[in-house]
Amino acid sequence: MSLFQRQRSALFLLGALSVITLFISGNTVWLDTSVVIAIYSLIALSVGISYGQAGILSVAQAAFASVGAYAAAIVTTRYDLPAVFGLVLALVVPPLIAYPLARLVTRLNALSLAIATLVFGQAVDIALREGGDFTGGYIGLSGIPPLSIASTLLQYHFLSWGAVFVVVILLSNLIDSPFGRATSTLRSDTLRAVADGVNVSHVRSVVLALSASVAGLGGWLYAHHIAYIGPDSLGPSVSLSVLLMAVVGGAQTVLGPIVGAALLTLLFKFIPSQEVQGMFYGGALIAVLVLSPNGLLGLRALFGKTSGTVVAKPQKSPSQVASSPVIAGGTQ
Amino acid sequence: MYELLEFGSRGILLGVTYGLLAFPISLLFIATDTVDLAVGGYAVLAGAVAMFVGESHGAALGITMGILVGVLASASVGCVSLMLGRRQKGDPLVLVLASFGFAIFLESCVLTLFGKDPFIRQSFANFWNVAGIRISPQAGVNVLVGLLLIALVYVLLYRTSWGRDVRASANNERGALLAGIPVRALQFSSFMLAGLLAGIAGVLVLYTSGMDFASGMHLTLAGFGAAIVFGLHGPLRGFFGGLAIGVVETISSGYANGGLASLVPLAFIFAVLTIGRVGRQGPAGVRA
Repeated sequence: MSLFQRQRSALFLLGALSVITLFISGNTVWLDTSVVIAIYSLIALSVGISYGQAGILSVAQAAFASVGAYAAAIVTTRYDLPAVFGLVLALVVPPLIAYPLARLVTRLNALSLAIATLVFGQAVDIALREGGDFTGGYIGLSGIPPLSIASTLLQYHFLSWGAVFVVVILLSNLIDSPFGRATSTLRSDTLRAVADGVNVSHVRSVVLALSASVAGLGGWLYAHHIAYIGPDSLGPSVSLSVLLMAVVGGAQTVLGPIVGAALLTLLFKFIPSQEVQGMFYGGALIAVLVLSPNGLLGLRALFGKTSGTVVAKPQKSPSQVASSPVIAGGTQ
Repeated sequence: MYELLEFGSRGILLGVTYGLLAFPISLLFIATDTVDLAVGGYAVLAGAVAMFVGESHGAALGITMGILVGVLASASVGCVSLMLGRRQKGDPLVLVLASFGFAIFLESCVLTLFGKDPFIRQSFANFWNVAGIRISPQAGVNVLVGLLLIALVYVLLYRTSWGRDVRASANNERGALLAGIPVRALQFSSFMLAGLLAGIAGVLVLYTSGMDFASGMHLTLAGFGAAIVFGLHGPLRGFFGGLAIGVVETISSGYANGGLASLVPLAFIFAVLTIGRVGRQGPAGVRA
């Protein structure tokens, strides 16, 4: 695949961002919304990497983002170190947690794996609340300094979308690499991947670790943008929200999680009451799953177009085919 | 020692409700090969409706309405399940995601309709004193209801043609279809039964420890933990798993501080999942 073909998603994103930036550069409200969308896009992209590319339904991505955000907050507020130290920790600590976790849970079947990550996310939430002075407990940590390289909202807009852009380029490269093809194979057919010599547990663990690193980057940006991080900031409900964003946009496409993050953040912005937010989120998730299981960008596949990314329909493994029912909720 | 026994008895009281939540999770796993993560949401909805209708129209009507609403909620997920035609899509996680969506939807509904205040009702003012241990009479009610439901589920699954069909379609869905068993109808009826059981559990939680609008995921996790302790394929085992989780939770909350104590059941579930054989898959992705 040529460089142009491989990076079509990144080029499209760059074009769209250029146009949008022209319209919102003078409006602080929309710039702030844009930064929030970029941050959620990063965390949703981490879902896209783990669930969309490797089939690992992780419900702990916000926990990894939270670890990145707390790393940034603790380094800058407790030890007065430069923000770049926080960035290194935000990129490194979540995968260091995720890899051994993944080695434990990627042996499980898909359902148990999802539950295990859900339990892990809840445990991180409790640990942060009970962390005492180190994590700020239930109150959290405030006074996180702004980044010197992005002191205005417009600069932060460029920084955060720059991070999304880099992740999109790297993800597109990853998908087109032998490692990406191995990941795609094991998502579609684990037995085939094993037969091809893929170390399934290792590959899945690396993918979850990479996704945790991307989530940590999102957490780092979040902490320096909001200047505060608490247990509720990136709690378990955010894990569900970003999962929803990725699924709504299309978890198996590169741009899908970004589209989902933009749509749902804007939807949230215009919903008058927070109480009913869950109804819209939950309703949107069910509607998309029923109408377009591959997400909004996955709809393009229905019209016979390639998205420039990967919209691979999950294939049944030989074992599944062997035991496949004629229908289950089907029509035959 | 008395303290430990008292914690243990409270654990059994709590564990019965978890065991009741394990019933629907195991039952749906058997019937549909997936996990409904909205089960805790049905329970919270049933509890909230039971409390608010009960306050204005009497407890009996409130409980009945609560359980009925729980059944309606689970029937909605059953409809979504049928629409998804999960197996045709080839992705076993789609219904899990949909049930996530429904859990979020239910939580938001309960928050909007009933508010943020905790829901709790106490039906007994006096406690029993058994050998120096204070036991709420509610414990007796919970255990009695739990045992009755064990008997009901056992009879339904192992002594009726419906149960035989459910077990047949769980064991070999294609074979069941070829034998003329209406697998889709069975799956839908399993959702209805799951809603009934979750609704009853929700009412018992309302009268035991109470709940709030956000308790759904905790109850789902507790029910799932209960269901996996002795094997997800046995609904009856889930009841005893619930007792185990309840005792672990109350004893840990008795001897550790509140927040850390709530980590114990989670660690318990995580350990069962990762160390045990419950969720293992073979190299081909099939369950071991």
